Parts: sequence; structure tokens; C-alpha cells
Amino acid sequence: MLPLELLQTSMARSVLAIEPLVAAKMLTAGKADPLARLRIYQNNTRSSLTAVLMAVFPVTVRLVDERFFRFVASEFIRRHPPAESRLARYGAGFPRFLKTIDTLSDMPIVAETARLEWTIAEALDAACLPPRILAEYDSTNLGPSPDILLQPSLRLIVSHWSILSVWTAHQQEAAIDQHSAWTRRPQRVALWRAGDSVRLVLLDRANFAFRHSLKHGLGLEHATGRALALDPAFDLLAALVRLFGDGLVTDVRIPRHPLSN
Amino acid sequence: MTRAFQSLAIPATAGIGLRSPHIKEMLSRRPSAGWLEVHAENYMGDGAGVDALEKLRETYPLSVHGVGLSLGSARGVDHDHLQRLRKVCERFQPDLVSEHLAWSVADGAYLNDLLPLRYDEEALAIVARNVETVQDTLKRRVLIENLSAYIAFADSSMNEAEFLAELVERTGCGLLLDVNNVQVSAHNLQYDAEAFIDTLPGDSIGEIHLAGHATNQVGADTVLIDDHGSRVPPVVWTLYQHAISRLGPRPTLIEWDTDVPVLDVLLGEAMWADMLSASIMFNRKQAARQTAAARPRPKPPLVSFENEAGTGMPVLAAFAAAKAGPAMPLALPPIQGEYHAAA
Repeated sequence: MLPLELLQTSMARSVLAIEPLVAAKMLTAGKADPLARLRIYQNNTRSSLTAVLMAVFPVTVRLVDERFFRFVASEFIRRHPPAESRLARYGAGFPRFLKTIDTLSDMPIVAETARLEWTIAEALDAACLPPRILAEYDSTNLGPSPDILLQPSLRLIVSHWSILSVWTAHQQEAAIDQHSAWTRRPQRVALWRAGDSVRLVLLDRANFAFRHSLKHGLGLEHATGRALALDPAFDLLAALVRLFGDGLVTDVRIPRHPLSN
Repeated sequence: MTRAFQSLAIPATAGIGLRSPHIKEMLSRRPSAGWLEVHAENYMGDGAGVDALEKLRETYPLSVHGVGLSLGSARGVDHDHLQRLRKVCERFQPDLVSEHLAWSVADGAYLNDLLPLRYDEEALAIVARNVETVQDTLKRRVLIENLSAYIAFADSSMNEAEFLAELVERTGCGLLLDVNNVQVSAHNLQYDAEAFIDTLPGDSIGEIHLAGHATNQVGADTVLIDDHGSRVPPVVWTLYQHAISRLGPRPTLIEWDTDVPVLDVLLGEAMWADMLSASIMFNRKQAARQTAAARPRPKPPLVSFENEAGTGMPVLAAFAAAKAGPAMPLALPPIQGEYHAAA
């Protein structure tokens, strides 16, 4: 008789179809064939995890057709099952997995759109803190380079492909021209959670760099320097007003140890 | 982040599983539902659902039901996941916490399904250790739910009910009796569903689950699939009646996870559970009164409708009177717990 740990390992590999089914003599199922019953567990695991991926990547499903998505998802689940039971974290590796699929090698925008969808899923699972307004700091001397803390759900994603255009086109129910938005045009996207939905905006290089620096805690001076290096006409005041207007600022602090960058 | 909630005890009436399509309506309507149960894993992040549950927790008693601890894993429970469960409990301060007698993690993979154990001394020692770890970490008693199964292990040395009874004895945990799971497993593995319930230590059962299942035909095999995708079927109501007749009223949850219907359907199913439970308790009271009355002097066969108006369920008194006293056993075992009329 197998020790329980070995038995469970063997069963898990059977359920994931990594190894042949376990020996029928180990199992009982009334008058039924126990191996046929074991396939119910295989099906439950595959179908429930496929449903998880389809919920996270709805636009990707539409881009590649549901039947193909299900096929790819089955392979992904078999090779990369969840490592933990918190399924909100399952699917992080799926965009990268899509890049390895030969059939999709001439459609890199599929994996890139999946990357955007995963980023949206991450944002939707992040906290939404009360936003601060600019007027709160009217009479506060914050020094030359305060730390500006942004919403934890803010994500910044850059792609060589027009991922936001593709994603937006698939938000409407109307039939769309599948290839009209598949252009190789870099897009920089900021997205964050707003209640139970997500807001997405396109940014230019300077504003993207500005928000990127702030998100990583590098301070206002560093963020402004990065933005100006990319665009000498960068408008700091407009960028700050927009940041507050988007509800992205959660706190402004004087740094305890000014950064030397 | 943690806020103090008023302590709200879960009553021995029916509640519903909170599902995402219903959250907005629950927040706006605040319908009369005895209590709510949520899956712990859905509230381990910081998404909008967490904000909503904090609001609902102010109004409704809450049960947190884990689906991912894998209490049956030979390698023990995942420490990180247990800490996440602890944080969920600290955040929402539920009245009940439950998990499953199952395993879902092995070989570094989470299978997103609940697999049965080989019921033997080795597994009992492992599960008891894992349950004790969970109870020590959460600093509370947890309820352990029986499983719906499609297979069993030939080398099991006891059945699932005996295993659960021994687990209660060793760990002091409570039990969550999923009546639908009993029906599904009893059919699939061909054992007596009522005998399963009768084997469990009744005083330890702190909650009951009700749900629907699907019936699949695979060749000559008719297999019941625990899909939580339909109304509670008559055979499960009958088994529920058996359980309540033995146990008395218990907090009873309507579970619905696939093809989730409109909220009113769940609330309607909860109402039926309350009605059935109240009806059973009413009949027991009637029978007990008749037995007592029969000793000094005979009573008329029909019960006075007016006499029962104080139960809060006059319709049941009328119903019972119209039935003209069904045959009830004269000696009924005492039932612990208060009678709760449906709200």
C-alpha cells in the first residue's frame, strides 16, 4: 500500500494527465468503472481552470476563437497548474505561454493583448485607497521633491503593438474587423481600479516615464527629470493636475532621506 | 485595515452563499436573508468584492468557507495560505469558519477540485494534525465538511462518516453536514445516505449545506455530479428532513455556484429550508404534547388552531390541524437548540 503522500502525488499527476491513470485496483466506485470515474476529476480540474482563464482573458478568447483557446488553456493547465489555491493569481504565466505556441507565432499581438488582460486582472484585485485632492496641499510646504504615493492598483504597461486599441474594440458587442487594429504601433497604457471596474488611458513617453518613476517611489524631482529628458516640452503642472484628477494620488510626503538621484 | 464589527451570531435558520452576480443587489436591497457565506479564497485580495463584503458584514451574520486549505494533504497545510485565511477571519470576523475533508494540493500543484482521502489511520493522523494546526492558528473551532465523491480507495479501513466521527473526537472540531454531498456520494459509491448521517456525532454538526446536483449517464453508469447548478432536488430535501428530524434546526446554507440564477431564487430556496425545518419542529412539538396529554386524559384528535398562534407560524398550525394528526412516534429523543421560526 502506497504511503499517502505518494498516493496523492500519483493521483494528482493522473488528474492533470501528466502520467497514465493510477491502477484501477486501488480504487472503487460501486458498480462503475473507477477509471471512468477518475476522469470526472480530470474533467473538473481542466474545465474549472479553463473557466478561470476565460474569465481573465475574454478578449484573447475572442481573438483566437474559443475552441482554440480551450485547447491552449488545457495545455497550459497540464504543464503549469496553479501553485496555490488563490485563483486570482492564476494566469500570470499564460501570456508568456501563448508566445510559445507555434500557431500564434505570426500573431504576437495575441500574447500582448493577453498581457494587458492579466495586468487588468491584477489591478482589479488590488486595493483602492481614498484619493487626495490637490487643494489639500495648498498651504503645505512639501519641499522640492516630495514623495507622491499612487494608488496600489496603478499598472503601467508598454507594448510594441496597439494593445489598447484591440482591447477597446472588443469591449463592444458589435462585430469588428479582426485585423483593423492589429498594427505595430507602440502603446503605453496606464490602468487602475475604479470601484469594480478598471480605467485605461494611453500615455505619451514622457507622462509614462513620469508615472513610472513616481510609482516606484523615486520622488517628484527624479520623475520630472526623466520626463523632461524624453520630452523637453513636458508640462509638469498639467501632469500633476491630471494625476490628482485621475484619483491616483493617495498621499504626498516630505521624504525623510532625500534621494541622491 | 481591520475594523471592529458587531458580533452577529448565525441563527439556526437558512442563509445563502454570496455570489458575485448578486453583490450589487444585496447592497441595494438588503433582503431578508438569515446569514451569508463566502468562499474565503475570493476575499484574500483587495478587490471591489472585499469592500462590498465589509458593508454587508455590518448587516448580515457571516460564515467563511474555505475551499483551498487541502486539509488532507500528506505534506501538511500551506502555511502562507493559512495565514491568508487568518487575515480574512480577522478582517471579517465571521461567526463560523469551515473547510473540507479533502485534499486538493499535491506534487506542487493545486487541482481546484476536492479529492477524497483513503480513510485509514495514516490519513486520520495527518488530517487531525492539519485541523489542529488550523484551529491553533485561527484560535477557534472549525467545521469540517463531508465530501462529494466519485471514487473511493479500496484500502480504506473505515468509511468517511466513521473517519469524521473520529476526527471530531481527536481534534474537537465541528462538522458541516453537506446533505447534497451525502446524496451524491451515497449514490455514486452505493451506500446508505441516512446511515451516513446517523453515524455522525449530531452535537458536533454546526452547519448544513443544501444544493442541487446534475445526473450524468456514462454508458451504464448513472453518476451524480456535484455541480451546485440547480434547485435543491426532492431527494436532497428528503434527506434534509431526515437530518433535521434527528438534529433539530441547524444553520442551513443554500449553495449555488454554476448557472447562478437571480437572487430571489436563492432566497426562495432558503425560505423552503426554513419552512421545512419549522414544520418538522412543529410536528415534534405537537407529538410531544399529544403524548403528554394522553397520559392524564385523552385529547381530541384535531389540534386547536388558536392554541398555536404563539409559534409565529400559524400557517403550519393550520396545516397540521388539517392533516388531523399524522402518526408520530410516541417517544422522541430530545433535540438541543431553540426553535427558530422563519423570518
